[in-house]
Amino acid sequence: MSEIKTLADLKKKQEEMRNRIKLRDSAENPEAFVQVKVAMATCGIASGAKEVMEYFVEELDKRSIRSIVTQTGCMGYCYAEPTVEITLPGKDPIVFGYVNTVRAEEIIEHYIKDGELVDGIIPQNYNTIKS
Amino acid sequence: MAMHLMDISQNSIRADAKNIQIAFNEDCESSRLTFRVGDDGNGMNEEELRSLEDPFFTTRTTRKVGLGIPLLKMTCEQTGGFLTVESEAGKGTIVQAVYCTDNPDCLPLGDIAGYLTMLIVANPDIRIKFTYRLNDKEFKLDTDELKEQEIDLRQSGLPGLLKPFIAENLKELFFHRAEKSFLC
Repeated sequence: MSEIKTLADLKKKQEEMRNRIKLRDSAENPEAFVQVKVAMATCGIASGAKEVMEYFVEELDKRSIRSIVTQTGCMGYCYAEPTVEITLPGKDPIVFGYVNTVRAEEIIEHYIKDGELVDGIIPQNYNTIKS
Repeated sequence: MAMHLMDISQNSIRADAKNIQIAFNEDCESSRLTFRVGDDGNGMNEEELRSLEDPFFTTRTTRKVGLGIPLLKMTCEQTGGFLTVESEAGKGTIVQAVYCTDNPDCLPLGDIAGYLTMLIVANPDIRIKFTYRLNDKEFKLDTDELKEQEIDLRQSGLPGLLKPFIAENLKELFFHRAEKSFLC
């Protein structure tokens, strides 16, 4: 890739890219997107959440899966960092622990694409029982 | 260092900040690097501010320790620098860490371009201003400016462009660094 030095370069590149991939209509309801939340607090960062996040951003893009990748704070599973919460359209969120790039690949291929559960799920009950 | 950048910014995001200013100010003559993150989030009251450096203090409910600030304090103090935090409830917070770059314990900068890209892409609604100043030269990035140029922060493929853009500019800037600096 040629050098990108100025904002104008950046803009030009983006326009080239826009023409190449033909904007996928992102205006549709956000429910239709796969939501990926990477835990990015001290614990997550220290265990390599950035690499995982870059991987998700890149790969989901390459495979043209409509998705939103965002960061979130600590979910309280510091022992299992990096953790990633994935919400498929119309489904409950699922938290995966010990995610590295190899695991991320599995998650994309099997969970996001086919909806099959893979290893490393942290059971999390979103409806806490009030005593 | 880039990890601290993400960590401290994450605090700002959690404080519902709409504007985040990240600044690195490196001065070769005095061998000082000032790393500063300012935001317009919720801020903290005096009591919270006092307990800030206590690693067992945190506002979060998911776990009982908060190591972000204490770790930052540790890394800058081990180079002979210091950390200051100014905050006012409702107005925002400024975290400033000073590193002595002539000390061998000074942290490597790390993948600043990568972290910054992720920060921008993951939070397109927050205005992020980034400045890296080395002596009298500087590199600036403002997400509002990107938007003015009609660069869409949400478009796929952007991270692949933004990261080399930042990395390239920083690399050029770093040529001007004095040799005695331990920063890398």
